[in-house]
Amino acid sequence: MAANADLSRYDAEVEKLAAWRARSRRVRYTIYFLIAALIAWSVEAIVVGDTDWSRITWASMLDTAKRFMAVDFTIFTNLLLPALETVLMATLGTLVGLVLAVPVAWLGAMNISPLGKATYGIGRLLMTLSRSVHEIVWGLIFVAAVGLGALAGVLAMGVRSIGFISKTVAEAIEDVNPGPVEAMRAVGANRFQILLFGILPQVIPVFVGNVIFEWDVNIRRSTIMGLVGAGGLGLALHRQMAAYNYGGIATVIIVILLLIIAGEIISYYARKAVI
Amino acid sequence: MAGVMQVKDLRVSYTAGREILKGVSFDVAADDFLAIIGPSGAGKSTLIRCVNRLVEPTGGAIVFGGRDLLKLSEAEMRHERRNIGMIFQEFNLIERLSVIDNVLTGRLGYTGTWRSLFRMYTKEDIRNAVRLLDRVGLIEHLDKRADKLSGGQRQRVGIARALIQNPKMLLIDEPTSSLDPKIAREVMGLIREIACEFRVPVLCNIHDVDLALEFCTRVIGLQDGVKRFDGPPAEIDKHVLADIYAMEVL
Amino acid sequence: MSVATTSQTRALPEWRRFRFPQSLYKYGAVIGALAFIYWSLEMLRIDVERLPGMLGRMGEVLSERYWPPAVSHVLEAGYLQAVIDTFQMSYVATVVGMLIAIPLAWFGAYNMTPSRRFLYPVARVIVMTCRSVHEMIWTIVIVAIVGFGMLPGTLAMTLFCIGFAGKLLSEAVEAIRVGPVEAIRASGANEFQVFVFAVLPQVRVAWTGIAIYTWDVVFRAATVVGFFGAGGMGHFLRESVQRVESNQVAAILLSIVVIVMIAELVSAWIRSRIAGAIA
Repeated sequence: MAANADLSRYDAEVEKLAAWRARSRRVRYTIYFLIAALIAWSVEAIVVGDTDWSRITWASMLDTAKRFMAVDFTIFTNLLLPALETVLMATLGTLVGLVLAVPVAWLGAMNISPLGKATYGIGRLLMTLSRSVHEIVWGLIFVAAVGLGALAGVLAMGVRSIGFISKTVAEAIEDVNPGPVEAMRAVGANRFQILLFGILPQVIPVFVGNVIFEWDVNIRRSTIMGLVGAGGLGLALHRQMAAYNYGGIATVIIVILLLIIAGEIISYYARKAVI
Repeated sequence: MAGVMQVKDLRVSYTAGREILKGVSFDVAADDFLAIIGPSGAGKSTLIRCVNRLVEPTGGAIVFGGRDLLKLSEAEMRHERRNIGMIFQEFNLIERLSVIDNVLTGRLGYTGTWRSLFRMYTKEDIRNAVRLLDRVGLIEHLDKRADKLSGGQRQRVGIARALIQNPKMLLIDEPTSSLDPKIAREVMGLIREIACEFRVPVLCNIHDVDLALEFCTRVIGLQDGVKRFDGPPAEIDKHVLADIYAMEVL
Repeated sequence: MSVATTSQTRALPEWRRFRFPQSLYKYGAVIGALAFIYWSLEMLRIDVERLPGMLGRMGEVLSERYWPPAVSHVLEAGYLQAVIDTFQMSYVATVVGMLIAIPLAWFGAYNMTPSRRFLYPVARVIVMTCRSVHEMIWTIVIVAIVGFGMLPGTLAMTLFCIGFAGKLLSEAVEAIRVGPVEAIRASGANEFQVFVFAVLPQVRVAWTGIAIYTWDVVFRAATVVGFFGAGGMGHFLRESVQRVESNQVAAILLSIVVIVMIAELVSAWIRSRIAGAIA
């Protein structure tokens, strides 16, 4: 029959397709197997190797959980000042971050980076470094460098914030509409003026929006900076921990949650106002 | 009348082997309103941008104000750009700035870096900006943000910005392509009036042939990087147009 | 040719950049901001006079006490095991966390949630709670309940992962095209089938990228959780800090930075390979 003769022409293609599908299925299943194997190995190490199950009983866990539930409201008023400190630290930290992010964004934006690829690489490296190191680690570094107190927290959050702000601003700079830049070249503006009038006005909404977002994130970070010596609610938490006052720990955590919710609300409306 | 600019054998290629402009030559006189017409891809936009070297030509010469622009250094060219006003198809205003701040950016070539950071233009500059905005009919919109204007209004801001430079020549790249036909006509009329008033020659790239013929004093027809016609609008007839637009696929 | 020769004879407005009261607000805002900064510095007891010399003093402290870093310490078997532990913790936390975050992301996506009045707010609240509490606080609380070691660290990182990935995953769901969804619904499928056949294929690429990015972030946090009682590299860090062995501290901090940067490179590489293979 004519139909059979026609179809057999495609046998080679079908073979190839089936082989490719079999191969990619093998690849996928290998990957799944590897993921599962890694899980099994890790879970074994954690649950079997590392954990002393004789010490973990439902009774002891419930007991501790109950102690957390007994929220100690007496210290509530003592937490208002640390809460304010936490917000101020986060705000100053964000300010430091945004000021330092400007030159890093300038370096890390391919179209305006002063020495082309070399400075672009440096800019990107600084961004990655800032974001890769956990804020606790930055906190420890700065406590070592400038001593205990809020300054270490402010600097740690500032340096940590550089990464996000500069990365988003650099990406915005790379995406600007080239029209106004062309117009500024055409009127005879110099490099700085082209940057100032052609590029900057276009990235301001992105910049402000992301600064507000980062401020919100910094409030969260600020709450634990005190755990490494920087002040604010983290310090209050540390004190309650040292006194083994579980109820007090719970209170501090509640205040932290309230603070973060307030920060989220403010940041949400502030960002809407900017866009 | 003494020529304002002489373009000699201008050549441009973006990638090796592919020439956009293949040796274009023409003169611009002081009272010229030159329209450059031709099909898409003919090189009209490139030609306009070569004059103020927003695009770098690969060969030829452009003599303006007695000097060959293509031999100037980066800094000298930047200074020379102050003498050439440019008006764009997409207006290219600074959206966040007010109308008057946009017009004042035309004076950046004359303003130092430090002063421009704080937007401290001279009183004379500000007075001229106000006068120009009145001339183009936007005096009520001085402080409005540029992104709140209509297309026709934005182009008029662009015109004022080009003129505040006190230019010796105007380069215009498709001034009306982004405008409605009625507004387009108004804007072309305004450009011609002002060019006459300020005695500035115009080099205008234009897609709409009828509009070109109505407002210009001379036409240059470009096709595939080569000049196919150079003469008064009266000489443009069906045959000339067929010749210039021969390659255009409908 | 000056503009003046063509001016009209009628009077034109005088334009000045700074007009009352706009200029008052602007200057007021700038002064207010500076006052706020000064007040903050006072409230936080940051000594402004000491700031100028700060960089110099930082350099001194770091070079005297923290240099050279005790590289031998981080090459010990105990520490290397801690690096492996950190990896294992982050890995389990990411996988388990993602498994929990996926249904939460589905419920928490406004466009695709099967129940807007109940499941949506519940899912949102769960993810938000996990996000709002800092991962170190989770660690402290869980260490208090369960004890020391890798298990509480893993549990804390799982909660962190749910909060971090949950939000990103549901944002990806909220960005899908509605066409395929309508098509699958029209064929009479139930909500779960709609999710599997209309949502999952569209978000596959984005979700895989999010999963790898999340692992990267979880790993960074996992390097530090040991500081508060969980396992991993952070534990060694705390010991060295408490013993004031500054050279060891420097070595550990440097090793953390190096390992995290390596993890970042690896994850970026995997993401670029996967984007090509899956898309």
